[in-house]
Amino acid sequence: MRHPLRHLLGLALVAVALCGCGSTSDHALQLTLSALATPVAKAPSSPSEPTVKCNNLKASLRPPAILPAPNHMPAGSFMAKIQKQGYIVAGVDPGLYKFAYLNPATGNIEGFEIGLVRELAKAIFNNPNAIRLVALTVPERLPFVQQNKVDIDVDAITINCYRRTQVDFSTVYYDAQQRLLVRAGSSVTSIGGLAHKRVCATAGSQPIQVMDAMPESDRPDPVPMPQAIDCLVALQQGTVAGISTDSSILLGFKAQDPNGTKFVGPSIGDVPYGMAISKAHPDFVRFVNGVLAELERDGTWERLQAYWLGHFGPLQAPPAAQYDG
Amino acid sequence: MWVDEDLTLEGLGTAVAPTRTRRRGAGAGAAAAWVRDRLATTPGRLVLLEILVVLGGVFVGAIAIGAEQSPERAAKSARSQTEPLLVQAKNLYTSLSDANATVAAGMLSGGVETAQKRNRYLNDLATASGALSTLTREAGTAGNAPAALGTIADELPMYSGLIETARANNRLGYPVGAAYLRQAALLMTSRLLPAADRLYTIESERLDSDYRTGTATSALVTFAAASAVELILLLLVQLYVTRISRRILNVPMVVATVAVAGASVWGIVGLLSAQNSLQTAQRNGSDPVEALSAATVLVSRAQGDLSLTLVNRGTDVIDPLDFARVRGVLERPGGLIAEISVLARRTGTTVAAQRFDAGYAAYQAKAHQLTTRESNGRLKAAIAIAPQASAISERLSRELGQQIDAAQGRFTRAARDATSSLAGLEFAIPLITVLATVLTLIGLRQRINEYR
Repeated sequence: MRHPLRHLLGLALVAVALCGCGSTSDHALQLTLSALATPVAKAPSSPSEPTVKCNNLKASLRPPAILPAPNHMPAGSFMAKIQKQGYIVAGVDPGLYKFAYLNPATGNIEGFEIGLVRELAKAIFNNPNAIRLVALTVPERLPFVQQNKVDIDVDAITINCYRRTQVDFSTVYYDAQQRLLVRAGSSVTSIGGLAHKRVCATAGSQPIQVMDAMPESDRPDPVPMPQAIDCLVALQQGTVAGISTDSSILLGFKAQDPNGTKFVGPSIGDVPYGMAISKAHPDFVRFVNGVLAELERDGTWERLQAYWLGHFGPLQAPPAAQYDG
Repeated sequence: MWVDEDLTLEGLGTAVAPTRTRRRGAGAGAAAAWVRDRLATTPGRLVLLEILVVLGGVFVGAIAIGAEQSPERAAKSARSQTEPLLVQAKNLYTSLSDANATVAAGMLSGGVETAQKRNRYLNDLATASGALSTLTREAGTAGNAPAALGTIADELPMYSGLIETARANNRLGYPVGAAYLRQAALLMTSRLLPAADRLYTIESERLDSDYRTGTATSALVTFAAASAVELILLLLVQLYVTRISRRILNVPMVVATVAVAGASVWGIVGLLSAQNSLQTAQRNGSDPVEALSAATVLVSRAQGDLSLTLVNRGTDVIDPLDFARVRGVLERPGGLIAEISVLARRTGTTVAAQRFDAGYAAYQAKAHQLTTRESNGRLKAAIAIAPQASAISERLSRELGQQIDAAQGRFTRAARDATSSLAGLEFAIPLITVLATVLTLIGLRQRINEYR
């Protein structure tokens, strides 16, 4: 009668040994759960630009007296290098409706700025399609120009003194204004009427600084959004009372919601846009300024403005070019 | 005497407890005297043995039943409750993440999504709603499940509202459509998917706890020990009876011993087999279900990131970062893909795992081609191959779904084996314990009667 007992103990020991391998299943579970719990990536915060003072903010290099003919760029020039490359690489922002935007219907980036890039391609290759557009994020813009990853940046980039220490700018190709967009039914008539109300602007942008600098009694409550277009969502959803940013951006917003939004009040500040080019290529800066001057002279600039921006706002005269060297 | 004393004390209204102790003390004294009287004679000792056999039978039988029922309940719970709920949590999680990936890919195709994408998105929402109502009905309150369920119930309609606004704007060619899509995707990744993840974690931990209970060594050891104690008791009683009588065998007691030995072997074999089956259910069934479900969620997440990268291009840095992060989790040594192939070797499904590896490599190659085109400024060319990447991703999730179904089948079979190995024991153990006790009493009674 002892043998079955010993047998039972043996079975029990086997069971102990079997249950010892449970750890691999725990490992599988923990691995699965930790893989699923991978947190969503967050955007790195972009460092704010230092404040720098300068004179003649809008002045750029004087263009040559006569522009080289298409496909005959002077030997050794940066334009000759672009000509050899076969296309011009431009950094753009595809989020600005009618200014530069990805048209969902065509899959192309289109708009006023893209029209200007095509004119540059026409001047170099006699072919408006010899372009490559690279969509850049705000923190990418200046480094991509400095590192020659793009030949030129046409990115609704505001000329300021700090940026001028980093890259060269063309003459002003569009003079935007900081404006205020509110819901169509709003009784507000200017930024002063939005004291202590939530006003949306792009995070880290000039308008936020302008609002922060206003006296306490009139100061709106700035709501920074990662992207300007998020402000239109916020305005449509009623979580902000207004949007204060560049007129070029706001014109696009109004076009996307013509009956639901309106401009109010005067310009809050001047926002000049220039094309950014590496400081290593002053010959290209002069060439681009020459092309811009030609576009303004022959009416192409106004034609582009009317085609892309004419539906939803007053047209402006081409900005007067200023040269300093 | 003590009756009077008791009345006096009650009359005084003072503590009654000491009296009771005294009475118990007196009772214990009387019982000890009774036992001493019985120990003095052989028939008396046999009566004492009868009591010992009854008490031992009840006590040991109860312990054995408890030891058998704990794994049996755990196996039944895993089979019919916690694992099915885990599957519902998985359905909720994968359908939400698939909806997000599908809708983002749909917005890339020329402003108006294809009917296939629209249907897939609507099916995902229907699956999510179904799983949500099942979980709401059955998940209980463990681990803050109601809060997570509430988050999804409240915010899923907000999500689909944002998606419809995004679609309407996208049809008009307005870039604000992409902003609504981004807001919806943010709601999905920051609120809905974390809530789904919490539910999934709660359910997988509940299942894991069933597995722990069901395969605990302590149940088997307790059962074996209880069986051994009962057998030893019966053997000792028989040894004593053999010594005081000339008969070597007492037939009823031998039958009782054989019955207990038989039940012990049955129980131990049943428990061993049930625990073994339950472990198979975990290792070959729900482990792969969990790993493959996680892969499904992460593949959808990568595909959502890839589509949103194109939808938001130029303004978006989060999605490429997240894509790289998901890739790391899947591909790193000891990561999810490595785990899937370990599990595939365990379950003999290496062919399916290799097909997944090849499909995943094809997906990454296509994604690389796409992001290279995009970063070289060939956005249109990148968007042109986006449907191919989306198609590979959908094929991957379909094949993962088939693998999950196969693993689910292995789970169901093994869990059924686990519960059927223990079938009958819950009735057999008390029955045989009672039978053995009665037979032993009959055997003892025969001896006691010899003294009358």
